[in-house]
Amino acid sequence: MPHQCVRCNTFYEDKAEEVLKGCPCGGKLFFFIKKEKLDRIRELSANLTETEKDQIEQDVMEIIGEQEEHEPVVLDLETIRIMKPGTYELDLVQMMKNEPLIYKVDEGKYVIDLIRSFGGKKK
Amino acid sequence: MITVFSNLIHRVFTHLFRSKRNIKIGLYGPPNGGKTTLANRICIDWIGEEMGTVSHIPHETREVQLKDQIIIRSGKKELLFTLVDTPGIATKIDYEDFVKAGMPSKIAKKRAKEATRGVIDAIKWLDDMDAVIVVLDSTKDPYSQVNITIIGNLEARRTPMLIVANKTDLRKANIKKIQAAFPQYEVIPVAAKYGTNIEKLYEALFKIT
Repeated sequence: MPHQCVRCNTFYEDKAEEVLKGCPCGGKLFFFIKKEKLDRIRELSANLTETEKDQIEQDVMEIIGEQEEHEPVVLDLETIRIMKPGTYELDLVQMMKNEPLIYKVDEGKYVIDLIRSFGGKKK
Repeated sequence: MITVFSNLIHRVFTHLFRSKRNIKIGLYGPPNGGKTTLANRICIDWIGEEMGTVSHIPHETREVQLKDQIIIRSGKKELLFTLVDTPGIATKIDYEDFVKAGMPSKIAKKRAKEATRGVIDAIKWLDDMDAVIVVLDSTKDPYSQVNITIIGNLEARRTPMLIVANKTDLRKANIKKIQAAFPQYEVIPVAAKYGTNIEKLYEALFKIT
């Protein structure tokens, strides 16, 4: 499954060092894409301006409640599609399956289920 | 004799703890169905204060809200619970819809982002619910992807639920259509804004908890 750096559009394969440590361009957010959807995503990201890409990166970090921007994050575009800043499409069926929708790359662990682990719950 | 006595004590204690257990009841549904209006009605009726703000612009509730220690009574029965009001669940959130409703673009984008996070939070909280009230707008078509996904998922989880057909005070309200869409569940018609038929909802809550 390819990963695309949201900032510079470069594609990386699974477990590529760049995905684990961050893209050389400084990008920390990657889109996780199924091979059959590649063309659509290429088209989508080609139409985004630099400002929009920055905004998407910032928005995703806020949506997932990520405080530190040092570690790369991979967003499953099958579940949350960000068409442009402020426009989101959600796949509820996928989300309710309790499968991870955002994969955080952290200290060698490739996937963390943030649906269960990211904060702000249980008072 | 000792066994009989011990069983009796066990039954009394089990009953006591069961009736006093603080359960969580969640309000779920699409945006603008009236979840917060219903939450406010329940809170005003039983604890004398409102829970959250309501708006005609969708996604006013963007964070999960809790109200603890609500006790409702019906005859000699008492139900103690925490009411959980959740953000509206949607498949598409577009800031341009908020702009059309008169909101400045920057605020609209922030609202869209928070609403998206709200949907994720609402779904996360499903795991913690002991029972769910699905709040639907009875003037809208019930055969939507959101309604079917929520109700189907609750059914798969075997979470006790009932459906509230809200806004029955409006002329376009069609309760029969909601009943026909989800015939396996009890559908309670209410006008949460005015408290119409709300006592039927309270009675039904005792049945599902």
